[in-house]
Amino acid sequence: MTRHTARVSRAGLILTGLILFAGGGVALARSLDAFPAVLGRANVPLLSHAQVRYPTEHAWVWPVTAAAAAVIAVIALWWLAAQTRTNTVRRLTLEPDRTHGVTILPADAAIGAITDELESYPGIQRASAALQGAPAAPRLQLSVTAEDQADLAVLRTRIETEALAHLRASLELDTIPTVLRIRFSPAHHRRLA
Amino acid sequence: MTDIASHQGDTQVLAPAAGPPRPARAEAWSRRGPRRKARREFRPRRLVPGVLVAAVLAAAGILGVIQAASAALDHPLWNLPHRDFAGPLQDTHWDATATLAVAAAVAFIGLVLVLAGLIPGRPRAIPLASSDDSVVTGAPRRSLRRSLARLAEDVDGIDRARAKLRRRSIKVRATTRLRDTAGLRENVHTAVQDRLAALDPLWPPRVKVRIRRKAGG
Repeated sequence: MTRHTARVSRAGLILTGLILFAGGGVALARSLDAFPAVLGRANVPLLSHAQVRYPTEHAWVWPVTAAAAAVIAVIALWWLAAQTRTNTVRRLTLEPDRTHGVTILPADAAIGAITDELESYPGIQRASAALQGAPAAPRLQLSVTAEDQADLAVLRTRIETEALAHLRASLELDTIPTVLRIRFSPAHHRRLA
Repeated sequence: MTDIASHQGDTQVLAPAAGPPRPARAEAWSRRGPRRKARREFRPRRLVPGVLVAAVLAAAGILGVIQAASAALDHPLWNLPHRDFAGPLQDTHWDATATLAVAAAVAFIGLVLVLAGLIPGRPRAIPLASSDDSVVTGAPRRSLRRSLARLAEDVDGIDRARAKLRRRSIKVRATTRLRDTAGLRENVHTAVQDRLAALDPLWPPRVKVRIRRKAGG
């Protein structure tokens, strides 16, 4: 769910689309008898007798076809895995100086601390967080549900200067690239119209 | 609620004209870095079409391996519903309607996939200014739309409201049962505008309000 996977999705779509568009376009051109000199005439069958007999007379055709299909399957499966991978960090390495050993902190602990802090702020109903990327330099995905009536200017200042600062301090990082999504929800006691 | 309307002064006092001092993030929108970062972050990922196409390709590849290996070994590896493709392909001509339709469909699907990959698409969230350069903030569209609609519905005299987010503007359509709609539009406009000011979006949108009177009020 990172920008990297977004690029992977889009690049794969463009590549697949270009291949389909080119193949379909050539077939369409031949079907419309557009360039008979290059593509062949249109009033003949899709496969000639010689083409149908070709694989039975040449033993290499089917194994090569199987190999090509296997390559396509492997690439497609890799693409699928690259898109669905969440890239979540489970354990964080804290000690930057490796000669003194590394401290390992479960990411759940850091996430629990920041969501608990955020949910204690007045006006915030729910908060969720996820750390992604490299364990030594994680990125933070933060999602907060604020009440409609909450003072957003104050809330955002507190999130940026308090909650994120505390997380940075506890992870001993100078900066954590953060994406903050603010959703809204009606307050508990809504005035009836 | 009804007597507030008669005391004009009260509504003026209630309007949050002077809120708490806002942090110095107002100038963030004039810089290019945060804007570009936000645009990139909230761009649609095209994950659904990507996963769909990848799954279809993987399935087609695996089926192809099974079929081609069966043909190479001259006995079926797997009991798949099998059909003779060579026969129909020999009977169908290039200029047949079916060929034309299939070729056009394949080319069209290809074009759609290319466009899905190339077109940036509508951002999933409205980017908001942030005082910290390492933080990209956004309000997801649907949530913001519903919140602004609720806000408009809380304005006295407004029955129902819907908000639409456009690229550079926010359209609020509200219905009222009041016979006299004077000032309603301004009240809704002010409420939405004040909320937007508190949100501090990177691209401040224009607010357009339309009031419709419900019959039988």
